[in-house]
Amino acid sequence: MKRHIIRLTVNGDTHELAVAPNATLVEVIRDRLGLTGTKRGCTSGACGVCTINDEEGRALLSCLTLAVAWDGCSLTTIEGVAEGGRLHPLQQAFWELGAVQCGYCTPGLVMTARALLLGNPQADAPAIDEALAGTLCRCTGHIKVKQAVASAVARVAADHVAATPESGNDGAQG
Amino acid sequence: MVRKADLTVVGRDQPRLDGAARLTGRAEFTDDVRLPGMLHAKVVRSPLPRARVVNVDTSAARRLPGVRAVVTREDAPQLAVGLHQPLFDTTVNYIGQEVAAVAALDEATAAEAAALVRVEYEPLPAITDFEAALVEGAAQLHPKAPGNVAWELAEVHGDPERAFAESAFQREDVYYTNPSHNCYAEFHVAVADYTAGGRLTVWTPSQSALLFQKALAAGFGLSEGQVRMMTLHTGGGFTGRSAVRPHHFVAALLSRKAGRPVKLRAVADEEFIMCRAGGRSRYRFRSGLGADGRLKVVEADLAFDSGAYVESQMILTTLTKSYLHLLYRLEATRYRGRLVCTNNLPYYFHHGGGLAQMQFGWGQHLDALARDAGLDPVEFHLLNAVGKGHTTMSGAHFASCGLAECITKAARQAGWGRKYGRLPKYRGIGIGIGAMASGAKGVFRHDTSAAFIKIAEDGTMSLFTGLPDMGQSSHTAMAIIAAEVLGARPVDITVISGDTDVAPLDVGAFSQRGTFNTGNAVIAAASDARAQLAKVAAERFGVKIAQVVFRDRQVWPKGAPGQAIALKQLVHDTLHSREGRYVMGRGFYNSPKASGTMAYSFGAQVAEVSVDPETGVVTVERVVAAHDVGRALNPRIVEGQIDGQVFSGLSQALYEEVLMEDGQALNPSRLDYRLPRSFEMPAVEHIIVESNDPYGPFGAKEVGEGPIVCTMQAIANAVAHAIGVPVTEMPMTPSRVLRAMAERREPPAGDPPLRHLLRGRRLR
Repeated sequence: MKRHIIRLTVNGDTHELAVAPNATLVEVIRDRLGLTGTKRGCTSGACGVCTINDEEGRALLSCLTLAVAWDGCSLTTIEGVAEGGRLHPLQQAFWELGAVQCGYCTPGLVMTARALLLGNPQADAPAIDEALAGTLCRCTGHIKVKQAVASAVARVAADHVAATPESGNDGAQG
Repeated sequence: MVRKADLTVVGRDQPRLDGAARLTGRAEFTDDVRLPGMLHAKVVRSPLPRARVVNVDTSAARRLPGVRAVVTREDAPQLAVGLHQPLFDTTVNYIGQEVAAVAALDEATAAEAAALVRVEYEPLPAITDFEAALVEGAAQLHPKAPGNVAWELAEVHGDPERAFAESAFQREDVYYTNPSHNCYAEFHVAVADYTAGGRLTVWTPSQSALLFQKALAAGFGLSEGQVRMMTLHTGGGFTGRSAVRPHHFVAALLSRKAGRPVKLRAVADEEFIMCRAGGRSRYRFRSGLGADGRLKVVEADLAFDSGAYVESQMILTTLTKSYLHLLYRLEATRYRGRLVCTNNLPYYFHHGGGLAQMQFGWGQHLDALARDAGLDPVEFHLLNAVGKGHTTMSGAHFASCGLAECITKAARQAGWGRKYGRLPKYRGIGIGIGAMASGAKGVFRHDTSAAFIKIAEDGTMSLFTGLPDMGQSSHTAMAIIAAEVLGARPVDITVISGDTDVAPLDVGAFSQRGTFNTGNAVIAAASDARAQLAKVAAERFGVKIAQVVFRDRQVWPKGAPGQAIALKQLVHDTLHSREGRYVMGRGFYNSPKASGTMAYSFGAQVAEVSVDPETGVVTVERVVAAHDVGRALNPRIVEGQIDGQVFSGLSQALYEEVLMEDGQALNPSRLDYRLPRSFEMPAVEHIIVESNDPYGPFGAKEVGEGPIVCTMQAIANAVAHAIGVPVTEMPMTPSRVLRAMAERREPPAGDPPLRHLLRGRRLR
């Protein structure tokens, strides 16, 4: 099968790769780049465990996405979410609130929730419900996952207020 | 008995120790394993439910470039999966059964080669309806199963006929449950590396490395030491990963032949073939109630479609038989459980271990019996519930029991008294109660878990266990237990597990034995280490060993906390003593009972539902779950266990069904096999009851399966309350709900016929 040369930036690292035209992103990310945090599940878009983010921060099912279509693009996987050794507020909330059980769908859930936070920083409960609907999880029953995402939304909003004195909450910084 | 006030670690929320690894993509699962020279496998499967395999021609497959091994029956004439299923059988007995397998440089080549294997079949008549298989004169599918009954267990306690004769009310009901799939997030997968030196290493998600190790050693004629099981992070268990399956043997066989490591993973619908969850089952109950409202006698006649081969499904009958005695004070029971051979895939059981599924029927049956007698179901349960100190007719003893407290608290919080019989049309409330053994004696003559602990000079510790953690946070629970004993912090303890070369023996994480059995083993190991330290401390303080207190990373003589020294100082001093002692603790636990277990958990759940009369869709509005877990070692994690089981129970009650037609699954995908999505899951209210079991580690009992046994029946009873008729088949899909409503003789009454309430008690 004819190979195509593509340039893919994943978590800030740029790779030049020869890929088959039918290679999906999940295969390239896991099998070629060795980033196995992105999980391979149903490979048909129904379970959500392979979710990654595109450069606009949108959720992308990497099992249904052909790698050649993302030539020149920048992607984020679960390995790129914690920055400088510090967990993202979502990861922190998932951990503290007991939203992680077997952990197989967890990377997909975190990437799904990260996309939600980036696209809708004020996401409310129905928005969280809708965003998470694409990921199957038998262990948690979704309950603590929803709590963790809601908690991360609140944390990110509070951080944002704290970091922006002109937002009206000036006295808070002392 | 442990007082809560004395505990410094147990009972506090401890985020799971491996949380960061699981959240950053660093947790390694079997599909993440890549070994040098690793090949990829594909299995050739039977497209027919029953056929003689006339010829298998692998020549074209072997010629395909990139193919490194092809295996058929000739490569493994003696190899069997479990007791009864020959690998690559000469007669295939279910759709998807293995006929041959190939290993190639990549998955695409393997798939291409598998398609080139030419198999000639002679089709044979198949039976895929288990009730048809039971009909007299039905063709016998297996020489050892006359009447197609592969296994039957019958047992009588007391005098059922007399008890029925003395009963003022009795009724008989029949219920069905349908084929299911465990639907773990992680698909079935195995990596096998069979080296020329006769050493087999297998990486695979598992609930019991020990059982896998024994089965593979026996199959390949190896010693147990030659088989090394690697249990990495495991993406869910749900009772489906406790026994070895054909794909483990196939991967090992291909690796042996190719001389290279081989990965075999389920792709797409293969996941539904490699998985062995529940088959269709029938549950007939007949029970009798005295005029005083006391349940006198229960008769259960159960038949399970066990599919094409019986392996370890016998446990379904022993579990359901024992379960009949766990909830109520009875005078007599009669039990019959049968495993029926068919040409469906070999079934095992789904989350809930066959018990939750049986409770779907039994809970509804008793609810109806109570209503026949004019009893409120909550009153019925309270009147008949077992309590602390009770010994069942079958010999189970309850040293702790919070069943009545669970029933009372769940009913009160759910507003039972206000709602039962008083809800608007098409809304209903229902209760389910349950019990669960913490332990698995009977699989072997022992039910042993062992543990080691070693303490580094700076006071940090390594805890070695053979107990897998499939997500239930059991490794963190073990660290909590060790930390409590040694006055350490859980975060100072690294739990080392998953490699049978290193880990001590553990029967495994099934039958709810982890917290209880392995927890007690960890107490023994940590206590052994503490005794070694206490000896040195006692000399230093000039007190008796028993008077040394370990708490908050400090050690002091009892009554004199002012003399405290740091734990790490004591470890240092112990190592630097003349003896030069390095602290290593060891311990094990085995139930002292000849069979059964020392502890049982109990629970009650109340569900509230609404039913759309036009579509038949059931919406669960609320679930209140009260569970006696003995002691919550890690409360937020306990809540998570309850949440997950309510989800799984709700899912099985309303959604999950593998639609089978002539042995073929019609919906073998994550899209078509429905589970509730996030927005379909109601809030779950938790009530944790702590009965402080005298034999449990710090009073703890299991919480891994006790909750799910309550859920399906609670929802079913709520549905019956909402629409005025029971739905007797699970899952209660919209079509089944509509059918039940259409068959209803009269519209749902606002009030069930509450003729009297016993003892005049009413729950608010």
